[in-house]
Amino acid sequence: MAEEAVIQVENLVKNFGDHEVLKKIDFEVHKGEVICIIGSSGSGKSTLLRCINHLEHPTSGSILFHGKEIHNTQKELSDYRARVGMVFQSFNLFANMTVLENCMFGVQKILHLDKKEAKKRAIQHLQEVGMAVYIHAMPSQLSGGQKQRVAIARALCMNPEVLLFDEPTSALDPEMVGEVLNVMKELAKEGLTMLIVTHEMAFAKNVSSRVIFMDNGYVVEDESPDILFTNPKNERTREFLKRYMED
Amino acid sequence: MNALLLELATPTAADGTFTWVWFMARKYAHMFWTATLVTLLVAVVGTLLGFVLGFAVGVVENMKIHPEDSAARKAVTRILKIIVGIYVEIFRDTPMIVQGMVIYYGLRQNNFMITSIAAGILVTVLNTGAYMGETVRGGIDSVDPGQEEGALAMGMSHAGAMLYIILPQALKNIFPEMGNTFLNNLKMTSVLNVIGVSELFLMAKTAGGAYYKYYEAYLVIAIIYLILCFVLNRVFLAIERKLKETKNYELATEYLVDD
Repeated sequence: MAEEAVIQVENLVKNFGDHEVLKKIDFEVHKGEVICIIGSSGSGKSTLLRCINHLEHPTSGSILFHGKEIHNTQKELSDYRARVGMVFQSFNLFANMTVLENCMFGVQKILHLDKKEAKKRAIQHLQEVGMAVYIHAMPSQLSGGQKQRVAIARALCMNPEVLLFDEPTSALDPEMVGEVLNVMKELAKEGLTMLIVTHEMAFAKNVSSRVIFMDNGYVVEDESPDILFTNPKNERTREFLKRYMED
Repeated sequence: MNALLLELATPTAADGTFTWVWFMARKYAHMFWTATLVTLLVAVVGTLLGFVLGFAVGVVENMKIHPEDSAARKAVTRILKIIVGIYVEIFRDTPMIVQGMVIYYGLRQNNFMITSIAAGILVTVLNTGAYMGETVRGGIDSVDPGQEEGALAMGMSHAGAMLYIILPQALKNIFPEMGNTFLNNLKMTSVLNVIGVSELFLMAKTAGGAYYKYYEAYLVIAIIYLILCFVLNRVFLAIERKLKETKNYELATEYLVDD
């Protein structure tokens, strides 16, 4: 890959008490890549994503952004997180704000841009995800799929360099999964760098440029989707995919 | 003072309770009115400042010490928690009437000439803060942790997330409890008569003493307390309903074409 690495994960270890969830993870994310992280529940993929965003602080090892290590200080974390957005399984839209306020909040309070710019960005990105007509609604008045589309728009308003998705469709009713995946496909086409923890194998196969298979806290395989889905090198990857395809 | 009192014919011993109550209420109308205002002043100012203190206490009680925090941060958090813990314990474990005496006479004995109304407000604030802290902590706990994560993940600090996201939601959850606290404070101001706050209880004691008609005088203020609490309770219930309701939103049809 000729492009410069945006995020580097180096020797990342994460323990919860005595339990080692991540065991020496190493990989790089390059500009424009769409990387899907797959693996069974408990394999550590969500923890990996939360460590990259520092919502969980690594036990050891480091996260580098444009070659610079991110330390656990408010200033460094704020600057870094403003440029690396995150979309959650449970949406986490602010319940005390309307759709519009949710999207304007970060632009005004974190990027310190004026209200006009915040509103302009909010409307632009809400239109991209097809939610602009709902700007006056409260999150509780929306369906799961709508909430997730707003959450994606909110993250886009910060103009992030990388967007992390933590199982963005796992909490959705089956008929709403499509609308969210379509939005993500569009973003991939536009060249946004994305790191996606997902159970949507078809999406991983068709949209991603790289697929990482995790098992028991290790990165077992890190390959292009063509190779990983048709000719996986590792026995455990094969087993996992076999089980998934049967379901 | 006499000029302020109405010239009324004094009822005789043969007159019934109602006549005496009516006489007391009219004769000391001005005093009762002033005392009502003092009662409200102490209760409103004391409760509002007490809420502010309570929120601060709740936030401190909610602070968590993370293993990855710096040593200085850990130390500051620990000290804050200890101070707040001691304060809350003292004020929850002593009666308000005793707190009033200790604070008022304690300050004056040390040449801090606090007025009784100021001391009364101070006692109410400290008392409310100690009780509200626990309520606020519960209110903060009741907010989904995902709300804070959503804010942190876009670069907001813990304090910012608290201020803009968590506390507004916690406030809504604990509003009924805040209404209760206010009504309770309004009634508890009556104990402040012991440090000479000229609130309703002290007025009834004074008016009753003038004619040895205590039952009738206290009946007057019982009615005043009842009316105040009844009205305020209805106001709080209305606000609570307003906070809870989710208004129907209007579709922003100007953006319909773009979808």
